Amino acid sequence: MPEKQRASLMSAGAALMFVAFCANLLLRAKPHIFSSTAHANIVSDAASDDDDSCADTTELAMAMTAWKQTQQRRTAPDSPTLAESAPVGGDIAPARSVADSYASLHSVAVDADANRVFMSDSNRGAIFLYDRTAGDNSSQMASPNRVIRGPGTGMMFVAGISLDPVNREVFAVNNDIGDRMEVFPYDGEGNIKPNRVLSVPHGAWGVSFNRTRQEVAVSIEHPNMVVVYRREARGAEAPLRVLHGPETELADPHGIVVDTDHNEMLVANHGNWAPLTREEEESQGGLKGGHFALPSINIYTGEAQGDAKPIRKIQGPRTQLNWPMGLNLDPVHDEIAVANYGTNSILIFRRNTNGDLAPIRVIKGDRTGILGPMGVAIDTKNDELWVTNYREHSAVVFSRTASGNVAPKRVLRNAPPGTPAVGFGNPGAIAYDSKRGEILVPN
Amino acid sequence: MHGIAYDAVHDEIIVPVHLAGAILVFRAGASGEEAPIRVIQGPHTRILRPETVELDLKNNEIVIGEDGGKDVMFFPREANGDVAPLRTIRGPKTGLDEVRGVAVDPIRNLLVVSSRSSTGTTGVFIFNRTDDGDVSPRAIIAGPKSGILRIRQVQVDPEQGKIFVAVKNNVESYRFDSPSPSPWNPDKPGFIGVWNITDNGDVPPRGIIKGPASETVWPAGVALNSKDREVYTIDSVSNGMYSYYMPEFFPPPKH
Repeated sequence: MPEKQRASLMSAGAALMFVAFCANLLLRAKPHIFSSTAHANIVSDAASDDDDSCADTTELAMAMTAWKQTQQRRTAPDSPTLAESAPVGGDIAPARSVADSYASLHSVAVDADANRVFMSDSNRGAIFLYDRTAGDNSSQMASPNRVIRGPGTGMMFVAGISLDPVNREVFAVNNDIGDRMEVFPYDGEGNIKPNRVLSVPHGAWGVSFNRTRQEVAVSIEHPNMVVVYRREARGAEAPLRVLHGPETELADPHGIVVDTDHNEMLVANHGNWAPLTREEEESQGGLKGGHFALPSINIYTGEAQGDAKPIRKIQGPRTQLNWPMGLNLDPVHDEIAVANYGTNSILIFRRNTNGDLAPIRVIKGDRTGILGPMGVAIDTKNDELWVTNYREHSAVVFSRTASGNVAPKRVLRNAPPGTPAVGFGNPGAIAYDSKRGEILVPN
Repeated sequence: MHGIAYDAVHDEIIVPVHLAGAILVFRAGASGEEAPIRVIQGPHTRILRPETVELDLKNNEIVIGEDGGKDVMFFPREANGDVAPLRTIRGPKTGLDEVRGVAVDPIRNLLVVSSRSSTGTTGVFIFNRTDDGDVSPRAIIAGPKSGILRIRQVQVDPEQGKIFVAVKNNVESYRFDSPSPSPWNPDKPGFIGVWNITDNGDVPPRGIIKGPASETVWPAGVALNSKDREVYTIDSVSNGMYSYYMPEFFPPPKH
């Protein structure tokens, strides 16, 4: 059996270990749902995935080694204990593991003129390039034309991406690990060094290239900030402008998109806010404490900096905003698309919406194939709308005007159908629920 | 969210929300978009950015640790709303900087704190559980023999008097201008380390899970299942969760 196929099946088995639960970024797994012997039983003669260039083929071998070692340990006489000798333990293989060997598609960007679609993978730190027409309605996996991935790339927990079609460059920012923006050539492939690297503040999520001003805007979660750099900035170069402060009403910013036609900047906010330091708290009048605000899309002028107020704000119960992630703009039809993770939907607003107004269209429902939407991109040239799913190994393509519970025109799969997405994204803690025999993991 | 704790007595889950300065308590069986049953948040809490959380069921307290706040706070377990902490350990004498993990030994009445610092000491700090204010720790486990460079979640097995630590290490070393083979420092791998709660100073771990077969690159968390003699860890680089069968860490009770 080809290694790739076995790796795929291994991934499916490992992911099945992960009980289907993902809410508020808290994930649970049953430690004993799969015994370690199940690793050996996952291998089957199912159809080959020869096109798969995404899975890490070393994982099955590692799992088998682990299984054998654990079986030996379980049948061996009692080992020395902590009380008897030191140190004990060592290079112990896990009895079981849960990891996703396939990409977790994060953001998406389309260059319609070049017929290219780029997607970032926050799970394995990669950028995938597909043909614009990739995907279909079959169960086949789509093959990327090229993949940028490897230690030389510097990509870690890569999140937002943006394109510069003129200079044929891809901007990518890392969220939470690897505080930098890498810039790759359109035609880059493999374990390459970026064209340039720029240090950015910790917690970058979104990035948007401004072709008119030749600038790059980056949203930063932790300090509630937007930083704007010149296009060719590199190293430790300082930003041209910083948008930060209580009047900005930035609160856990995520997606960002620059509207060059109207010289505006749109930022999606989750609504979480707390002072970053005691000094910041004191500078704002002392005891403030954290708070939860309603999610919002804040719109600023293109030159906004300092503690500038938004010029418009989409916020309120009618908006349906719930964990808004990626944003994109349709300058032709004057619309905004929002990847609304919290309700597995895409919300379309008029560009100049202000206040608590309902979206003009919503793509949502069991036929849409949208599950954990993280990125969204509008292709006005071909009248299409792309969505990357974080909770499923797929991207889905709709007609630009799609609305309601509609099936996508095409599905681009990056894992065999039915392969659950584990959904880990830089997990930082773990707990054991002894009552349910479940392992709890916050992302 | 960078922390989590399970309350086996009241069947609740407690999580810190770093970016909103809040502690949320959920039913342990909660699923989907379910509201928390209690929220600790507001100016009187003095919570800044909570990083980690622990439950002291014997003394009915929630313990939180803050990275930016450089402190440890204690609240009543049933606290709800904008309430003041019962006690706070904070100040230069504490040696605490970025607090990444907290755990309580209710048998010995001790508080175990993992703290990372770029200017001071990175290690395991042990306080009296009832300490309050700017107090010195009773003991600090840190130094080259300890192997601790970067540190995260801690757990205590009070029956054994052992501290389990997710030692993250593996400092990022990506260099754009050099052909660095890895964005990580492969000479400094992370590990799960076990120490006695009576240890003090530059003490090597008494138990360890470390190495390529373990598959961990950057262990960010640790949890214990002593009944099944297992240790769980989560790795924030490989985005993987690993379960280790470790009978040597959980000896059977002596009769």
